[in-house]
Amino acid sequence: MYCFLRLSVLLVGLIVSASSYAANAVQPLTTADDLGPKVEQPIEFPHDRHAGDAAKGGMEINCMYCHTYARRSIVAGIPPLQKCIGCHQSIESVRETPRIKKLFEYWEAKKAVPWKKVHDLPDFVRFNHERHIQRFVFAQNKPVQEACGYCHGDVKTMTVARRQKPLSMGWCVSCHQKDHPVDATSTKTTHGPNDCWQCHK
Amino acid sequence: MSITNLLENWSDFRQQHPSDDRPHREYKWAMSIDLDACTGCNACSVACYAENNLPVVGKEKFAHGHSHHWIRIERYWDNDGREFADQGAQFLPMLCQHCEAAPCETVCPVGATNHTADGLNSQVYNRCVGSRYCNANCPYKARYFNWYDYPTTDNVWPEPMNQQLNPDVTVRGKGVMEKCTFCVQRLTVAKSDARSEGRSVLDGEVQTACQQVCPTGAISFGNLVDPLAKVGKQWMTQQVELNKDKQAKDTAEEAAKLRGYRILEELRTYPSVMYLEQLRESAI
Repeated sequence: MYCFLRLSVLLVGLIVSASSYAANAVQPLTTADDLGPKVEQPIEFPHDRHAGDAAKGGMEINCMYCHTYARRSIVAGIPPLQKCIGCHQSIESVRETPRIKKLFEYWEAKKAVPWKKVHDLPDFVRFNHERHIQRFVFAQNKPVQEACGYCHGDVKTMTVARRQKPLSMGWCVSCHQKDHPVDATSTKTTHGPNDCWQCHK
Repeated sequence: MSITNLLENWSDFRQQHPSDDRPHREYKWAMSIDLDACTGCNACSVACYAENNLPVVGKEKFAHGHSHHWIRIERYWDNDGREFADQGAQFLPMLCQHCEAAPCETVCPVGATNHTADGLNSQVYNRCVGSRYCNANCPYKARYFNWYDYPTTDNVWPEPMNQQLNPDVTVRGKGVMEKCTFCVQRLTVAKSDARSEGRSVLDGEVQTACQQVCPTGAISFGNLVDPLAKVGKQWMTQQVELNKDKQAKDTAEEAAKLRGYRILEELRTYPSVMYLEQLRESAI
């Protein structure tokens, strides 16, 4: 009897410790399907509605209409609230929907929407959006959504954006090792740099 | 980058010495420091602290040799028997010499220090495990080990001081070797801007922090491959060549005419920093 009691105490202890470990466990960087963690945004911004194909009810807005800094700066940037309002104040049909109401609440309160970061690289990594956009969109004439989608996934089919690719060093390097054509017409190819200080700081 | 790929194609990842068959193509960053102009004011050192998020460690840790000045002013007294005040001093700013055949690179157990295609001696902080082997092997003693967790436990940037940290440079944690980077964050920006305009970086387009603040303009920095660069011209007039350990200055007839030299050249580290010998008598 005493032996049973000891065993059960041990078992309960094990289960409790295992479950508490699971609760405290850090969310892994990439899950099996390479999906990043779900990020709760203050307003569930429907990327599919804005950037999606016209056949599926999207408006095919260029990624760089809102993420306007991508082509000329290291960071892609999040549009200022003014840009959202600029369109939405003249779109009467959706004015009373809950998300747009929330948008105007921020606008009237003169507060920026506190968007959460979805693609967050560590502090020691430097990623230059401009370099990649200049190379693939402007030099190679690739469609914007394909060029952006290579790292960000097929955002035009998502509602709230979620990380699709691992964004690990090995993943970056796998692309830097490939030979990419220099521009749309030439047959000359180059690959990305592989020196450490290019990306690490 | 799998480790098998890395090992099988090691020569592709490892930059060669310029005397080998793969010289520098587009960029080779180099510096020259005119010791005649240097007044030992320490502005370069201060600018480096500000630019590169270096922690100010305080008197006690400094005395233990735990300081983090990536560029330090070495001071030499004239050796002619005079006492202080009349003694006269010579100053020599010492920083990482970005050697072509860097002794620190070969000994790193994890490959955290590498040679870049631009001829820089790179230090990758997030790969460093803190063996300090590189420091032991550096003849210039230009590498500094981070003994404390400055951002968190040793709170050297209390609020709101953290707001002045440079976002282009990592704030290094404990157990990492760090050193002068030739302000690589500025170099990458300049290179990227130039690439967008389809040209190479022009001379004078990019400055290091120490060069920028130097009140006497003692420090010049630029691309040695560029024939128009000031640094390249200085190296040429002084007949200093990157991949030689015996320069024209070392011969008896040229010694009096030429001022340029590199420190501990005879160790064959092939440093990228040239010093110009002091001409005038010391200040007093």
